[in-house]
Amino acid sequence: MSKRFSLTPYLFLAPALIIITVFILYPTAAVVYYSFTDYNIVQPPEWVGLQNYQQLLRDPIFWKAFTNSFLYLIVTPTLIFLSILLAIVVNRPLPGINVFRALYYVPVISGTIAVGIAWRWLFDYNGGLINGILVGIGILPAPVQWLAEPAFTLPIAMLLTIWIGLGYYMMVFLAGLQNIPEDLYDAAVIDGCNPVQKHWYVTLPGLRPQIVFVAVISSLAAIEVFNEIYVITGGLGGILNSGVTMVFYLWRQAFRLQHAGYASAVAMVLLLITLAFSIINIRLLERSEQNT
Amino acid sequence: MTNTPSLALNAAAVAHRRRQRHKFIETVFWYAILILVAIITVLPFLWILSTSFKGPTDAVVSIPLQFIPHEPTLNNYLRVWNQLPVGRFFLNSIIVGVATTTLNIGITALAAYPLAKMNFRGRDAIFYLLLATFIIPAQLTYIPSFVLAVNVFKYYDTLFALVFPSLATVFNIFLLRQAFMSVPNDLIDAARMDGASELRIWWQILLPIIRPTLATVAIFTFVNSWNDFLWPSLMLHSRENMTLPVGLVALQGMFASDFRGVAAGVVMTVVPILIFFVTLQRQFVRGLSGAVKG
Repeated sequence: MSKRFSLTPYLFLAPALIIITVFILYPTAAVVYYSFTDYNIVQPPEWVGLQNYQQLLRDPIFWKAFTNSFLYLIVTPTLIFLSILLAIVVNRPLPGINVFRALYYVPVISGTIAVGIAWRWLFDYNGGLINGILVGIGILPAPVQWLAEPAFTLPIAMLLTIWIGLGYYMMVFLAGLQNIPEDLYDAAVIDGCNPVQKHWYVTLPGLRPQIVFVAVISSLAAIEVFNEIYVITGGLGGILNSGVTMVFYLWRQAFRLQHAGYASAVAMVLLLITLAFSIINIRLLERSEQNT
Repeated sequence: MTNTPSLALNAAAVAHRRRQRHKFIETVFWYAILILVAIITVLPFLWILSTSFKGPTDAVVSIPLQFIPHEPTLNNYLRVWNQLPVGRFFLNSIIVGVATTTLNIGITALAAYPLAKMNFRGRDAIFYLLLATFIIPAQLTYIPSFVLAVNVFKYYDTLFALVFPSLATVFNIFLLRQAFMSVPNDLIDAARMDGASELRIWWQILLPIIRPTLATVAIFTFVNSWNDFLWPSLMLHSRENMTLPVGLVALQGMFASDFRGVAAGVVMTVVPILIFFVTLQRQFVRGLSGAVKG
């Protein structure tokens, strides 16, 4: 620290800081301002005070989006549970296990849009695989309008998220499993643990960093979900807005309806939620560091 | 008393046989689960693949499921290829992916070095500022970024609009900072003694050492760029400027009820990225294990 002042570190940081200022910091400040204005992107914003927020409180579709975004969080525990199970299975030294690991990873890298189009089709009324199979083997008497039934929109999108995420999070947990020393399992067996208890007492504590990581990443992704909703509902948000989430609503208000001021208010709510989430996550992280 | 040993031996043999049978059943059980999950993950893809080769006489769905078309045809591919510039979508996705990845890594690795290895005024402030931006959802920035793109930078409907905003990602800065921190200080100090400039130290000493992390960051950045949809869909308007995901949605709109056509489009976009993945699989897996350490 006693060295003379040098410009070097600042020069190294400059390009990244400029980009981040222009594309993250400035836009965030601008959104705060827009949220107090009437703005349609074409004409200059006009100050309206709290009007957008007042409208937000009375807007049933916004509350629907709000609720849907939180409902979407169900994917997080489901993903954690299923991908840990899957990681335990693929962690076994069976011949050909690498092929299976790679296969499970296929949906992850294919991209939500491509995978989502395939997924939407599975549930198609006329030509979908699901109706085809269920009617074909006699479980359903007649095809079901999966995509036109409001109650199914969100679950179908969530299944898509889970289907895509499973392979990715499995890999994360697999890496974690491979760091757990084998001795711990041996000790657990000697102490009389059955296979289920073994995983409960050794695997879960051993995977704590990965569980926190996956919880953070997947819950933020769930709150900010857009692509899945877009493909499943064809960009419309589903019958009776059944699939509308906060980011979807933000997008529709800003870029379909030209209500950029109102959409900015939605964005502010989203920011507050992610802020709250991050505080919870930091607490969790701190606690997990204390315990390990 | 005399036959006790043989009894024990017998018991051991029975136990051994039982254990082996147990082991066999267990193995069958694990494979059954593995195959079941594989069917769930891959079946929709196989169905898409087989549909893309089906002619008008083959049903898209039939019971029993028919995966091998009676009259395989490439017409679906030709139809899509002729009506949409799929080749351009590809080229655009590759240009954006490569440009974003190389420039992003250059910029974030430059920023990560002083944060990891230099003492200077404001370092902690900058670090916490970056940490704070981590919380901001990308979608929140799209309204002002859209205005910037149209009014200030004038790159609406060009590929620049996709590359510029993604040139610096905080996540990458953190990963690379972490990697730089693991490089011994002595190495850097020795180079400084020899009079090497910081830029040279960065380029000739540090970057080669953290190559595995660079590869991980590169792959993630590329795949993210390749699959990005929302921002590109806001920016790209003309057909010839679209990237694959945006083009795919356009195709879904155009071929709405033409399953075979859309299937061909999906196959054309998915197969290259799968090949890319298979060739880099080792890096991928290693990268994932490195990204989250206990």
